[in-house]
Order: sequence, then C-alpha cells, then structure tokens
Amino acid sequence: MKTAMPYPTPAGEVTLQVVGAKVDGRALPLHMISRTHQVVALHEVERREWDEVRLELRAELPRGELSAGAWRDVVCVAVLTEGATNARTTARLSGTAEDGVRTGSITLTRGSHRSRAELSLYVVATVEGVPGRIIGGTEESWIVDLQAREPVRERELVIHKVDFRNTDEEWLRPYRDAPWLIETTGEMPTVHLNTGFEGIEDLLEGSGNPVEKAVRGMLAAQIATEAWTAMFQAAVDGLDVEDGVPQWPTGWRDRVLRGLVGDVFPDLSPADALRELHARRSEGGRWAELQPRIHYAAARRARLARNLGTTVRTLERSGEDNRR
Amino acid sequence: MSDEEAFGLWLGRQLRRIEMSQSAFGAELGVTRAAVSAWITGRAEPRDETKREIARILGVDQATVYLRTEDVPSGRPVGWYHRPAHADGGREFGNAAAFAFDADVAVLAREATQNSLDERLDESRPVRVRYVLHELTGEPLHNFLGALRWDDLLPHYEAAAAQPQKVGRVIAEGLRELRETDRLVLLRVDDYNASGLTGPDYGDGRFAAVVRRQLDSHKSSGFAGGSYGLGKATLWATSRLGLVLINSTLSAPHEGRTERRLIGRLDLPWREVGGHHFAGPAWLGEEDSEPEYKGVSRSWWADTATTDQLHLTRANSEPGTSFLIVGAHDAAGDAESVQDMHDKLVESLAESFWAAMTRGRDRTALLEASVTTLRNGQIVKPEEPVDPHTRRPARTRALRAYLNGETVASLNELGQVAMTRVPLRIPVLRGRKGPDVEHRAVLLITSAEDNDPSRPNHLVCMRGNRMSVSERRVPDLPLGTDPFQAVLLAGHATGEDSEDARLAELFLRASEPPEHDDWTRTDELTSRYARGARQRILDFRRDMYAAVRDLVGRREQRTDGGPGVLRELLRLDAGGGPATTGRRAAGHPTVHHMDGKLDDGGAWRVRVEVKLPRREDAWLMTPVAKFDVRSGKRPTVGWAELIAGENCRVEQGMLRFEPGARTASFSGTTDVASHPVPAAVSRLVVELQKAGGAGR
Repeated sequence: MKTAMPYPTPAGEVTLQVVGAKVDGRALPLHMISRTHQVVALHEVERREWDEVRLELRAELPRGELSAGAWRDVVCVAVLTEGATNARTTARLSGTAEDGVRTGSITLTRGSHRSRAELSLYVVATVEGVPGRIIGGTEESWIVDLQAREPVRERELVIHKVDFRNTDEEWLRPYRDAPWLIETTGEMPTVHLNTGFEGIEDLLEGSGNPVEKAVRGMLAAQIATEAWTAMFQAAVDGLDVEDGVPQWPTGWRDRVLRGLVGDVFPDLSPADALRELHARRSEGGRWAELQPRIHYAAARRARLARNLGTTVRTLERSGEDNRR
Repeated sequence: MSDEEAFGLWLGRQLRRIEMSQSAFGAELGVTRAAVSAWITGRAEPRDETKREIARILGVDQATVYLRTEDVPSGRPVGWYHRPAHADGGREFGNAAAFAFDADVAVLAREATQNSLDERLDESRPVRVRYVLHELTGEPLHNFLGALRWDDLLPHYEAAAAQPQKVGRVIAEGLRELRETDRLVLLRVDDYNASGLTGPDYGDGRFAAVVRRQLDSHKSSGFAGGSYGLGKATLWATSRLGLVLINSTLSAPHEGRTERRLIGRLDLPWREVGGHHFAGPAWLGEEDSEPEYKGVSRSWWADTATTDQLHLTRANSEPGTSFLIVGAHDAAGDAESVQDMHDKLVESLAESFWAAMTRGRDRTALLEASVTTLRNGQIVKPEEPVDPHTRRPARTRALRAYLNGETVASLNELGQVAMTRVPLRIPVLRGRKGPDVEHRAVLLITSAEDNDPSRPNHLVCMRGNRMSVSERRVPDLPLGTDPFQAVLLAGHATGEDSEDARLAELFLRASEPPEHDDWTRTDELTSRYARGARQRILDFRRDMYAAVRDLVGRREQRTDGGPGVLRELLRLDAGGGPATTGRRAAGHPTVHHMDGKLDDGGAWRVRVEVKLPRREDAWLMTPVAKFDVRSGKRPTVGWAELIAGENCRVEQGMLRFEPGARTASFSGTTDVASHPVPAAVSRLVVELQKAGGAGR
C-alpha cells in the first residue's frame, strides 16, 4: 500500500537482524533463528520451563541519508507485540550515528505471550521541530514463534491421524465411518484422518504404482478442497464488523481469505471483496449464489483439476497396457 | 658488501668475457701464467699495485676491481639467440604447456601467485606480490621496443604470424594491434621475499627450470601448490607476443652476484627466417663465452640503465623475481582496457588467495598482494592492496577465528565461527603394508554476509599454502537453511606440522588434476597408493558434507505431520503464490504510485497513478482517502476537489476510467473539515473502491 507522509522520510532501507537469543541466560542455537524467514523458533528450547527470552538485535539505517537530511535526534526502537495477548514491549537500540548501526536487546516474557509475537523496528526522529515522528521502519517484521520447532514463517494446518473408533476425543466416535473430518474451531484448523478407515493411511502415505499415485493425488485434492471450503466459510463466519465495515481477521483466517478472494471475486480489490462477502453473508439468499464460486476457488487451491487430469491420463495409459 | 664476489671467480669470468688467455694476460701484466692461474683458483690474490695494473688492462676504473660488482664491458652484445631447428626436421607449432591454459589474467594471477607463495623465503614474513599493468604508447613505447631490439625480432614474428596454426593467428593479431593502435600493455608480476631464480644457466636449478625447460617443476618443498610445472606457462600464454622478460634478485649468489640477473624468453612456433630454420624458443641475453654454449644467449648481470629501459627495475634489493609480460591480453575477453584488467586481477587474487592473505592476531599472513596501473609512467590506478576482509568477509572471518583460536563448537550468534574436525583416512603407498593414517581436517562454518561475492552455502577446500582448491555447493541442505560459508583446511593448511598433515598433503596433491581445482579420483592416486585410495577421497567428501549439515544444524522437516501429498496442498502462505495457483495479475484497478504533500490550508494534495487490468468495458471506481493508523479501522476523509488526469473522467465523486486503457491518473485535495486530526499528524492512503458500494 502506498502511504503519503506529511514530512520528509528517508528512502533508504532499514534492516533488523536478530543476531542471537538467550533463553533464561542460555544461548539458543543459531539454527533456531532464520534470517531468511525472519523467524525465531522457541519451542522445546532444551527445556520446557522457561521465563524469558532475551533477543540480541542489530539494526542498520541509511547512514549517509540520515546524517545529511533534516532529521534530528534519530532514535531506533524495537517493538515486540502479540495481538492475541495485547502485549507490547519496547526497547531502545543504542549506537553512534556514524556507521548507521544500532544494537541492543529486547526481552520477551513468556507470561505475556501465547503463540507468535511480532518484532518490528521503528526509526523515530525530530522532523521540522516536531519530535517523535516515525520516519521509517522494517518492511516486514520478525516473528518470534513460541510453538515452532523450526524457524519457518509459513504455518501449516494440523493433520491429526487418529482411529475414530477408539479415541479419547469422544466427539469423533460418532463419525467412525467417515474417512476424514475437518475442524475449524481451534487455534489452527485440523484435518482428522480416520486411521480406523481401512486402507486410507496406506493410500495416502505409501509409494505404489502410477495408478496408486494418481489415486493418492485425487484423494489429497479431494480432502484439501473440502478443507479450504470449510476454512473459508469459517473465516467469513467469524468476521468482525466495526461501524458496518468488515475488518480483516488475523492469523490463519486472514491467510485463507486473502488466498481465496482473488478467485471468488476476480475483478474486485481484496478490500472490496471483503465488503462484498460481508454484504452477501448478511443478506442470505445471495450467499447461496456465491457457493459455486467458493467451491471453485477452493478446488483451484487444492489443484483438483490438475490431479484429476493426471489420474485420467494414468488410467488411460494403464488401460492401454492391459489391452496389449 | 654482500654483492662482493671472490676476486678469482671474478677475474676468471672477465678473461673469458674478453676472450683473453691466462698466458696472454700474464704476458701483458709481466707475470707468469701460473701466477694468473693461482689468482683465478683463489690460491693467491695480487697486491694492490698489481690490481691497479689489472684495471688498466681490462679498461675499467679501480673501484670495479675492488668492488667487483660489475663485469667489464665485454663487447659481447646482448641480443636474441634463436634455437636452431631440430636436426631431425621435426617442427613444433607452439608451446604445448602454454596451451593447457587459456590466456586469462585470472588464471595467470592464480598460477603466478601460487609459484611465488611456494618460493617464500623468510617464513616469518609474507611474500609480497605486486602486479603492475603498464600501458605504453608513442615515445615511451618506441624507447621500450628499441631496448628490446624489436627490429631483430620483427622478421621472426612476421614469419610466425604467417602460419595458419593457432599460435600464428594470436601473434598476427598481436602484431596488427601493435601496428594499428601503437599501444602495448606490459604486465609485470613482481615477488619480494621469494627465492629468486637461483642456480646456473643450464644445469639444474630454479633458473633453468623456469627459463630453459618445459614442465619442469623445480619447487623448493615437496608440498608446493603446483606439481606439474605448468604454472609458469601461463606467463607466456598471457603474452600476445609469446614474450616475457625476467629480472631476478637471487637469495643465494650465482657467480658471486645477486642483483639484476636478466633474461628474456620468446616462445614462437617453428619458422624459417633468412634461409635458416628455427625450432621455436629464443632468448634475449649475453652471448655465452663458454666453449660448450658458444653463441647461446645466457642471463646477464645488467646495469641499472638497461634494466630501466626494459621496465625491469625492482623496488629494492629484496630477493625475488619480476616477470614482464610483453603484450599482455585477456583472451577470456571480459577485460578489454587496462582498468578492466586491473579490476579482474584484484578480484581473482582475492578469490584464490583470500586465505593466504588472512592473518591471525599473532600469525602473519602468507601473502600480501597489490595491483597498480600506469600509462606511460603516469599512475592511472594507484597501488591497490588486495584486502581479504572487505572482499571475502565471511570466509576471512572464519579463518581468522581459527588462527586466533576463537572458534566455538556450535553457532549461537551471528558472526560466530563454528569448528569441527573431518577425518581423512590415508592409505599406505602401493606395495607396502600397514594401517591407514588418520588426518583430521578442520571444517569452519559461519553465516554468510550480504555484501560478500562468495556464493552462499558453498564449501571451499584448501591445503598447503591455503590456495582454494575447490568450491562446491553443499548438497542436501534442509530447505530454508540460512546462507552460510564453509571452509575446509587440510594438510599443512591447518597450520599443523605433524606427520599425518604431511601425509595428507601428499595424498591430496596426488588426487588433484593438473588444474589443481578438485580432490578427485585421479590415475596418480590409483598408481601410487594401495587399493581403496579412490574410495577414501569419496568418503572424505561425504564426511565433510555431513559435518557441514551437522554444524548448520537445521534438522530435516519432521515427517510425522501427516501425508506429504496432503500437506503440500494445505500450505497457508498468504495470497496463494505462484507455486500453488499460478498467481494471476490483479483483476481490478490498483494504485500504482502516489505523491502527496500538505498545502498551506492543511489539506492533503495528492496525485495518483492507477494501473488498470485489460478490459473492454469502462471501470467506474470511487477513490477513497483514509488516514493510516496502526491498528483498527482507518478513518475516511472527504475530497474537496477531484481532478481527472490521463484516461479518466470525474463523475459525481467517482472516476470513470476509459475502456481499454491500461494506466490512468487523477489528482485530489482532501476536505480539511472532514479530517479527524490535523493532516500534519496523519499519514494518507488512497484506495479505489468499486463504485456504488457493495452492489453488483
């Protein structure tokens, strides 16, 4: 999004690196910090009980531009936030203006966070006599993930393999004859695969001949289509509305909506599409008209057509082989 | 004075030079032949008044006789000697050794510098290597060619250029360019604190190995980087004219002298000039007075004026050698001008020798290198020292941490260097019996740097004098591994002087092909070592990669997260991405660019450029201005004025973009009365909404 600022801001890039982390004073292995993905993974850091993580930070500012420009008292502030807990921690980085490098640390207290904290950097300065103006920051923030085992940005749905017939989760038992079930109420959506449904595990995980592979692709596409459809419905269901205007959700719901609306409403901007979704949902009848489009978007996302095409070609070929 | 030569040796040479017999000299001096012989063999030395008389007969001043740092003018001309054709009529149309290399200044820098490193004299100091590019035109060029006796060479060059073979074509091109552009590039490669070309002119020694012989690798230690004697051929290969002049300051005196031992060598193909047939090589030097080599040009101890005219003057009297490549060119073709060649030299020196140039806190570097560019004696690019820390920051940091003993066992912080050992099992030599010897090579890992030209996630292997032997991408890294640099030090490169390091050095050298750019299964490995040698090299490589993966530390993705085929289809990356759906271009008008500033009345004035998707129908959109906030709903502000720009009309507060247009623009001023806060403390965004609200 293009934003106009009422005062001059530097054009140069501002970067933030997490150069190290200490969990209760003990250093976290560097491979738990990904510079590529800008993620720090904290789950199972050698011990289950820990209280705080101290992140060592290093920021680089456009040195030449800042020293030549109209900005005074340039200050660099790191901000750690998490929407789910409304936690907000700040830390000022120190350093001389000459080399454009600022360093410092920020502490994440476990009690204030739940799953994923965002770490961003703001550059604040006095501009034209007005103090405290934001003149820059990181384009993309770092993520400090309290649950991830490896530092990757992308989160995956939970795929839960369980025998529906005898499980402690009693609510699954009535569905013993269903091969799978999609649940969208938790922290992350979950696909429950019923291992009690004979053959489904082998079909999805084995290697097998080309025909079996093709069928596996079809089955996966089928499950994925259902999952995307269910997630989309759940995300629209949970939209927050402020003054009649729907707001973008957070977490996986945001990803699902943004990922699919382009196919549901190809000629609307995401913001218009969100309003349109909300309007139709509120009006009932026109919501039903939208179902084919949602199904189309989910199937496209699940690569249903491609997988079906592969299956058809494979079957043709094996049919020819059999006739020989 | 170190230069001083024993009187007898000196006098004997002077008599040979002027071709005067001992008896004739004695008669002239009024002494017996036996007395002269006694002086020459060192059994006696003449009295001072006799020495004065000797000076008179030889036609030199008395100082020359006392200091003996110069030879008497012999009247023996310095000139070109061309080797006669083989008696069997065989003809060679080029120097095979020179063909093993392309004329590429990067290759030259690598090979020539490697030779200098191998000849390092004082092990407590680095060997210093200077590359000087010197472009000559006009008067300076003609003076140089005169000193070179160009007119004597020209008939040979023209005969060689007339031949259709590759060398002939290269020389023809060199001659044509010299004639047409009146420009010649000299590239001088100097080393200091090196052995220099010691030894006799013809017998075994460094001098003969470089100047007289092909494929003779006379290296001072058995652990030299090169072992094929091919490296020096790159000097001649870099010359378009096949011509290299040499000035060496010797670390051990020859004929009692050390400074300004000069010789030139020309490599031409077989040719016929003036009715005579010539085999190929030619030498610029003094006509030999020894009966055995009568007529051959040998190295001579030049005076300072001649050395200057030939552009061979060295900076000081430190031992080492200067090679002057006449008509230097870069056949790889990417360095046309001397400035380009300068940059390419600096870069290739950094690439091959960053490690040799890295020093520890208490340990000196093995090598210092610089490049300078001149034109007719004027500086074009001043001497540029090659700094490994700025050119290869990550790898240099890794090596320095090792030299300083500052490595860690596992990486916890950016900038740290982790170290581990990788075993190399060295089999016994063929025909012997015994267990393998284990050498533990050093593996270093550190995070890559953004401004580093080194390719990330690569492993550089080195031995001996820390020249990079190979650079390979580490295979099978987990996806999303953060970029790193890895360095493996084997043999003497570890800085250890143990028996296993020595054996590893020999074993790895045997595993290198002539280019010295890999450790692989060579024939030499099979012929010298017991069975299984080739497998040891493969094991070594497998183990070093495994060690890298271990230090990088990222575990493979856990596989119990459900079937891969399903997980793949359920990735939650925002927006779909090209990998999942073949992302299409936006199907709606978007704000492509916006300029905004506050006017005197406190209103925002913006100019907006819009990108439109291809469509037959017109687009009707409402531009909406909002104040940007950190969280929550953005307050909308009204427009005081909307002005259509390119490809659009304003209709009742809406914009109608023309059908078929791909871009459009408009300007607007916000309505101050609708601002929830003063514009001076706001940030403005502009969105394009579908006109008519949510309706279709």
